[in-house]
Amino acid sequence: MGRGALQLSTTAFFRRRTVSRVKLCVTGNAVFRRNHFRSAFISFLLTAFIVARAWSAAPGADRAALVQAIIGEEGDQAELVSKLSASSDSLVGQTLEAWRVGEVFLHEASDGAKIPFLLDKQTDADGKARANRILDGEPLRDSSGKPLSFTATDLTAVDTSRSLRKVIKQTLDLMALSNPDPKFRRDAASRLGFEQNQDYVPFFESRLATEKQGDVRKALAEAIAITQLASDNADARKAAIRQLGELRSISGQNLLREISAKAQANPKTYDAETLAAARAALTAIDEYIFWGNLFGTLFRGLSLGAVLLIAALGLAITFGLMGVINMAHGEVIMVGAYAAYVTQNIFKARFGESGFGFDIYFPVALVVAFAASALLGLILERGIIRFLYARPLESLLATWGVSLILQQIFRAHFGAANVFVASPSWLRGAYSVHDVLFAYNRIFVIGFAACIVWLTYLLMTKTAVGLQIRAVMQNRNMAACMGVRTNRMNMITFAFGSGLAGLAGACLAQIGNVGPSLGQSYIVDCFMVVVLGGVGNIIGTVSASIGMGIGDQILQLHVQAVLAKVLVLAAVILFLQWRPAGLFVTRNRGLEG
Amino acid sequence: MRRTLSKADYWFLGLVAVTGLVILPCLNAFPPKESFFHVSDFKVSLYGKYLCYAVLALSVDLLWGYTGLLSLGQALFFALGGYALGMHLMLMIGERGVYKSKLPDFMVFLEFPAKYPDTAGLPAHWIPFYNFWFATGAVIWVPALLALVFGYLAFRSRIKGVYFSILTQALTYAACLMFFRNDFTFGGNNGLTDFKDILGQNLNSPATKRWLFICSVVLLLLTFLLCRWVTATKFGKIQRAIRDSENRVLFSGYATANYKLFIFVLAAVIASLGGALFVPQVGIINPSEMAPEKSLEAVVWVAVGGRGTLVGPIIGAVGINALKSYSTHSWPEYWLYILGALFVFVTVFLPKGIAGIPGQLRNLKKRMSRPTENMITAQVSTADTKT
Repeated sequence: MGRGALQLSTTAFFRRRTVSRVKLCVTGNAVFRRNHFRSAFISFLLTAFIVARAWSAAPGADRAALVQAIIGEEGDQAELVSKLSASSDSLVGQTLEAWRVGEVFLHEASDGAKIPFLLDKQTDADGKARANRILDGEPLRDSSGKPLSFTATDLTAVDTSRSLRKVIKQTLDLMALSNPDPKFRRDAASRLGFEQNQDYVPFFESRLATEKQGDVRKALAEAIAITQLASDNADARKAAIRQLGELRSISGQNLLREISAKAQANPKTYDAETLAAARAALTAIDEYIFWGNLFGTLFRGLSLGAVLLIAALGLAITFGLMGVINMAHGEVIMVGAYAAYVTQNIFKARFGESGFGFDIYFPVALVVAFAASALLGLILERGIIRFLYARPLESLLATWGVSLILQQIFRAHFGAANVFVASPSWLRGAYSVHDVLFAYNRIFVIGFAACIVWLTYLLMTKTAVGLQIRAVMQNRNMAACMGVRTNRMNMITFAFGSGLAGLAGACLAQIGNVGPSLGQSYIVDCFMVVVLGGVGNIIGTVSASIGMGIGDQILQLHVQAVLAKVLVLAAVILFLQWRPAGLFVTRNRGLEG
Repeated sequence: MRRTLSKADYWFLGLVAVTGLVILPCLNAFPPKESFFHVSDFKVSLYGKYLCYAVLALSVDLLWGYTGLLSLGQALFFALGGYALGMHLMLMIGERGVYKSKLPDFMVFLEFPAKYPDTAGLPAHWIPFYNFWFATGAVIWVPALLALVFGYLAFRSRIKGVYFSILTQALTYAACLMFFRNDFTFGGNNGLTDFKDILGQNLNSPATKRWLFICSVVLLLLTFLLCRWVTATKFGKIQRAIRDSENRVLFSGYATANYKLFIFVLAAVIASLGGALFVPQVGIINPSEMAPEKSLEAVVWVAVGGRGTLVGPIIGAVGINALKSYSTHSWPEYWLYILGALFVFVTVFLPKGIAGIPGQLRNLKKRMSRPTENMITAQVSTADTKT
């Protein structure tokens, strides 16, 4: 355990440093844009750039070596090529790939020098393509300086023998280990490890010495251990088994199972120590997977709960506090989602599909969504709902009518198909800790939910408006006697609840589909959350939504998603047997509650 | 019976009986096809469908209009009845399906023989449905049982008003999700369809269609009489008392939960019977029939027609469905606008529906003639109607 723990903690340390450096870079960049005279940031940028250049090694030397290999004697080619395996130059990789499939050509210059080149992917009208030199990627030019173009079929490719192609393939694989993209490095390490080729071990080890990215380091260490499982040396094999256990290697699990099964079947060829080590390693990995699943499930449950919470919070206000059954609540959410879509389109048209300008669309979209939905809520309240305060069941029917109309309007205007709302770049991707993925947008949803619950709480308890809202909801007549303008408070409360639903819509647009029937898929769940939590109680709404979210995800481990949902609904119905007024009851002495 | 039925009831029943049992079947059977008076087979099935919906509307009215329980899950019971009979019809297809197998097509398609090898692919709970009378029995007892269990749980813990509505909606939503699943053994989202015959009679023949239509009329008339009888007895009085002030009834020593439970089960069975007759006439039953919006639609029929009356829901169901057929055919994109606007208009301006218009007019007239006194009564009456 000791060594593994040390290794993990060091990797975590390394990663934290790299991440923070990247972040600093980004912020530095943004500030730089705004203020040209922040010399401190400029010097910082320069340092970062130099680090990056040094890290990727001198590219020119590798290209020159490659050119040497291509025009060199057949006997030396393999050796020259295999020396390139530490290169991180993408052009070298590209050329090797092309060479292997016979797409590298030679150009004889006027002075008799041979210049290898590649053909560009794009062809002109005659089917001819630009020739690009391998040495620097620049186009080949004739004596007058005009770029040369060729047709692939007119040229003869540089020959490769079968054994050379094999060497190239190996080199390419090993080159992937030094690809600038950590994802490629990690995938390459995992893939190469499963080849169990003992010759690769030194490569892995040298990469491990320079590698800084935590997950790639783990993949490399796994690759070494997996390769050594097939080693001739019994002690090395045992050490590899232990190492896999310490690494909590999920990819090594199957190999370890095989070994443990074989060791059990023929105790003569395998000693007891191997069996014990394999079993211990498997137990460790299983435990690791169990905890990983547990945390993954809890996280997914929490994020689903946050989604429900965001969607239901507006309803907790309009239904819980005001007692209005707003069946159009789902459609108010939908309006928020489409508001985000429209804002996104405007920003896309103005700033293009990516970059800083596009990325700030989301905060703007949140404001727009809130405003649009609050306005809709205001119209609904003034136009329909205020006539129906004394008849809650009929407000249900009228608002359902409104929901039908809204759905149809949006279907007619935006089409029946789902529209795509692109997330800003800072919400894409995921953060992985110990093989558990934490998607940024899910983390954002959780944080956002916490934020708006907190703000709502502050508004309700610490402001004059909140006080008046609560007074009107608790006893309308008494509040009116005290001079509270109940009509206006109804308006404000309903508009605020609808605005929250709009925020929910903008937020849901980041993680799900946006279509005219978006609201329908949330409405039943929203009502269940509010009823389960106890009407008129924000704490109840929070616990109910998180409880339903986590419950759903835990059930999904054992049954299918739909069945899990049905079981959650059934559980809520049964729970209400036990506590008919929900989790948290606002007690009063009235008979009708 | 003499005292329970009013003059208007006699007129209405007579009209429905003469039109439904004599005129329409005759117009379908005798005039030649090109004649102006001919009613096509398609129309007969369509009207039959409306009548089944009218039965569903009556069951909603029995709960909402007379007992004050707004169930948003009534279409679930309707669909359950449909499924129970649909299962029998499905098995009666025999080897005439696409796959020429004794199993229903969807079972072959979903590889049931591999999943249920003991019974040659047919899940065990399907087997009794070979018997028509068992299927008919199931139309009654399956929804009744579900309503009994759910109603017992709900009424025991005094879930009422809006909460009851939301819970019934959740129930039908959950059931709908279950029926959409392929391994729930009821055909997944395609449901049950392609029926060939019922009791040996070809379902596509005009005579069968006519008889099914006549059955629907008879069912509607019987349901009407049953509802009238239930609501006119002492039981019905308590039922309305529960609607108007449940606590007072409770304090007078009545076990209101049992009354509500009885009505809930009765309404479930009525809806289910409507569903059972719906399926052979429409030829398909699938989970979308129990989607939450179907139940809400049924509530609209009642609201538009007039709740708390028995004639209203029937007019509402037939009228709105006729309007739906017409407008989804003529201007499909506007149907939802019409339905939505109808919802809003009726709930805001016509709280008692079409059947309540004469009363509203009378009130208005009275208010015109004696303004001051009626102001007070009007205020009192709005304060009273907290349903």
